[in-house]
Amino acid sequence: MLELLTDPTILEAAANEYTVEAAEAWSEGIRVGAAALSVGLAALASGYAERQIGAAAVGAMAEDPSTFGRGLILTVLPETLVIFAIVVIFLV
Amino acid sequence: MTRLRYVGSDEGGSNLAYVNARVRARRAALLDEADYRKLIRMGPNEIARFLEETEYEREVNALGARHSGVDLVEYALNENLSRHFRDMLDWADGHLYEQIARYLRKFDAWNIKTALRGIYTDSERAEIENDLIRAGELSDAQLNAMLDAANVEAVIEASSGTMFHDALVEAFDAFEETNLLFPLENAIDRVFFENLISGVAVDAGPAARVLGGQRLSTGSPTDIYHEFLIAEIDFVNVRNALRIARSGAEMDTADYLIEGGRLFDAAELARLVRNMDDLVAVIRESRYGDRLSDALNALEEAESMLEVERAIDVALVEYGDWLGSRHPVSVCPVVSYILAKELEVRNIRAIARGREAGLSEEEIREELVMP
Repeated sequence: MLELLTDPTILEAAANEYTVEAAEAWSEGIRVGAAALSVGLAALASGYAERQIGAAAVGAMAEDPSTFGRGLILTVLPETLVIFAIVVIFLV
Repeated sequence: MTRLRYVGSDEGGSNLAYVNARVRARRAALLDEADYRKLIRMGPNEIARFLEETEYEREVNALGARHSGVDLVEYALNENLSRHFRDMLDWADGHLYEQIARYLRKFDAWNIKTALRGIYTDSERAEIENDLIRAGELSDAQLNAMLDAANVEAVIEASSGTMFHDALVEAFDAFEETNLLFPLENAIDRVFFENLISGVAVDAGPAARVLGGQRLSTGSPTDIYHEFLIAEIDFVNVRNALRIARSGAEMDTADYLIEGGRLFDAAELARLVRNMDDLVAVIRESRYGDRLSDALNALEEAESMLEVERAIDVALVEYGDWLGSRHPVSVCPVVSYILAKELEVRNIRAIARGREAGLSEEEIREELVMP
């Protein structure tokens, strides 16, 4: 039994397996991180873009409530950025 | 409390997009040519009824029980104007608020001038009060004090605490000498515009201050607003210069030149007002030549200055619109809305008064100013 544990070839194989696993985990982590970053940045950008559009849309609606539909559509247009970012999650 | 400064906001926490959207909606709701054509054929009561179906509904309904005919139209117009301009101040934040507030002081200037003119001509208190536009910074108490004033000096007294007071006191001597209101009115205009332009120059940063508005526009919203104000000052100077040149009066033009414009300096103006042709030629060759060509053509044809002044008003609104389209999200659309709204109110008033006085449709149409 002791021989088995101290056998250099077995030890080496175990070490190699461990390194491969670690590398795989590491790359998986990077991938998830990249996806999270892309969604996060895209969300930030669309929020920034929606800020002005939303303000203008609310202004227009206050004057004429019939612009609600159009205002809403224009306000959420930059939301497409986030949708593209979600596609990125599946690609990475 | 310090205001939040938005990331990337170029105008110190201004909510330009919101205010612009609202102002543009209101601009679109202004009466158009077809409406004016209808109004011209109506009597005062019909006009009031017509207004009830437009932007003016709230005021006409509120005042309808107490007044009728021309009075109703008149009061409703003034109330509506004040409400719209107060609304803009309610919406605006940050620099935009300051810019609008500073611009709306023009109604303070207007109100003090109206009070001066009214007292000077011994008009009825109610009549003067009708002409006030309560859209500026002056409180009702201050305005009432001016209305109650017995003479011009008392009006100036009542203006103490406003930015106009010192200049009025200074101009009072000239008024006493000539017994004309022009020095006082001009003092008010000068204070108003000089305050306006210096405020913007400070906003625009050190470059603008050092070069006194002579620098090239970088296209930022503040710069464009600055450009508009310079144009407005130039237009006022053009109007005054044409008036002086036409009247042929010998006066010290330096006193009547509003600083901050680009078109004239004091020495040049003094030379130009002696020769109408030179003055017109200089204006035609200036940067405003194309815009003012209607006014100058009218000057050559028309008997009276009125048509020329109307053409200058239209040119200013068009210039504001043009600047507003060059920089869509800036204070320019707001300012050109203020001008357009003023013109509309003036037009409706002219129609109502003209109809009551029994003027013909043609005569009334000539009174209208349509951008």
